[in-house]
Amino acid sequence: MKKKILPYLLLSPMILIMGVLVFYPIIATFSYSLKKWKLTAPNDIHMVGLRNYVSILNSDSFWYSFQNTLFILAVVVLLTTVLGFLTSIFLNIDVKWSGILLAVAMLPWALPPYVNGILWKFVFSSGYGFMNKTVIGLGLADKPIEWLSSRWSLLLIVSLVVTWRSIPFTALVCLAGRQSIPGGLYEAARIDGGNRRTIFRTITLPLMLPFLAIGITSTSVTAINVFDEIIALSGYSDLGKNILVESYMTTFSFLDFGKGSAVTYLVMLFAGILGIFYLRSLNKEVEY
Amino acid sequence: MKFGKKIGYLIALVIFLILTLGPFLWTFVLSVTPEYAMMEKTTRLLPEVITYDNYRELLTSGTQKGSILITGIRNALKAVGVTLILGIPIAMMSAYALSRMEFKGRRLIKNLLLITMVIPVMATIIPLFRLFVARQWLDDVFWLSTVYVSSYLPMVTWLMANYFATIPKELEEAAQIDGCGRLASFLRIIVPTSYPIILSAALIMFLNTWSQFQIPLILASSLETKPVAIVVSEFMTKDSIQYGLTAAAGIIAVLPPAVTALIFRKFLISGMMGGAVKG
Repeated sequence: MKKKILPYLLLSPMILIMGVLVFYPIIATFSYSLKKWKLTAPNDIHMVGLRNYVSILNSDSFWYSFQNTLFILAVVVLLTTVLGFLTSIFLNIDVKWSGILLAVAMLPWALPPYVNGILWKFVFSSGYGFMNKTVIGLGLADKPIEWLSSRWSLLLIVSLVVTWRSIPFTALVCLAGRQSIPGGLYEAARIDGGNRRTIFRTITLPLMLPFLAIGITSTSVTAINVFDEIIALSGYSDLGKNILVESYMTTFSFLDFGKGSAVTYLVMLFAGILGIFYLRSLNKEVEY
Repeated sequence: MKFGKKIGYLIALVIFLILTLGPFLWTFVLSVTPEYAMMEKTTRLLPEVITYDNYRELLTSGTQKGSILITGIRNALKAVGVTLILGIPIAMMSAYALSRMEFKGRRLIKNLLLITMVIPVMATIIPLFRLFVARQWLDDVFWLSTVYVSSYLPMVTWLMANYFATIPKELEEAAQIDGCGRLASFLRIIVPTSYPIILSAALIMFLNTWSQFQIPLILASSLETKPVAIVVSEFMTKDSIQYGLTAAAGIIAVLPPAVTALIFRKFLISGMMGGAVKG
């Protein structure tokens, strides 16, 4: 009998924390999303069913943010996967200072995303920042460019900064994948007369696919949840907002808890679908 | 061929270093540039005169900006302390139960825990904000830190469970034959053999807590709770932005985690890998 209780006893603090601070709020958020609830009109709170969702899906503001989210998602996933893979090849080369290089490569991941955003804002600042000094110095422009003042250029820079932070994880996962391939396989292939390209195509790539999948799905979740970098690079302006910023602004700036919760639920749906793929790829074991 | 390979590697190395460290170096240059030189319309990258005034102002607690930044750093460290004290034991207990014991609902609990890894902060923060307002927790680093813990538990528990699963069961069985109870064998076998993963987990929690922005933006309302990233953001939005000062604050804010990550790189990397790859 004692044995039966022990596991639950061990799990109870975790269950308590997760229950109160995660699961209860998720359910509560859903119930908020079904209400008309503005902090500016505290006496007028009532159920409106799905009306918040309908009004969001009919608003230009939401679709504008949604486009921005999709843009960031596409650019970040593409660039992170390609550059992360290349970085892993680079880091796999054995040199004296490999350990330090690997640690340096992790820095963008390890540091506060908001502060990273600020560092890059200085690089792309509108006056004589680093980028403008460089383009003018090279004669590519004759006056400073306003990098962060037009929608697509801002979004591209946001995506680059997020990519910069996401590369380390993908590179590391690829590296782990690369190093888990038994050396004997390569030897056998070489004895069988395979050249470098066939070896890459028939051994390296297929065996690394599960690891790439982990990288891609985890990057997708990161890319949908971008918040800090957008605020760092463009403040709370509308220009570069994604759905998450939209949800934050609706809730805490316009104080519309009902609508804000509904926007949040739409993001969660979106992130959740990708998340399930992520968890699947985590759970898959690689076999040789 | 050999020579060509070496050149290729060196080029890759230079590109890698510029792209990784460039923003830090540029921000450092700005932080030691006098304010008047920053507005000069020149393509020269380095300033003619170097000044450490910004650092001096930020690191003396007498000045207004300095004391705000120092309080922010102290708040972040306090939160790190609370998250570690709460998070590590709770994650270890859960990981032990989930990886070493058979009981009803194990799969369900494990899956429910993992699924929260991908849920955005915004999905929970509105009710939490109400809870914090009602209980007057908005000024309290402790309750703020429990919210951080709830966002780390899935990842850290997963990490530890994977590691515990690699410790041979025989070790524990032998200890139990020698008269150790379940608890004693956990403390004497599991805890000492898994110190590398405990250190990795602590490192990941430290870095994440130091980085917090979105949660404290909503749940920390006073100077006594705001962590360092929020303080830097307020330097950025105050009506008169002093670039040099903000740059210096940014450098100060990244130094502690950067140095920690470089020193404990082995544990950081094995922790990140362990989170992604089944042990």
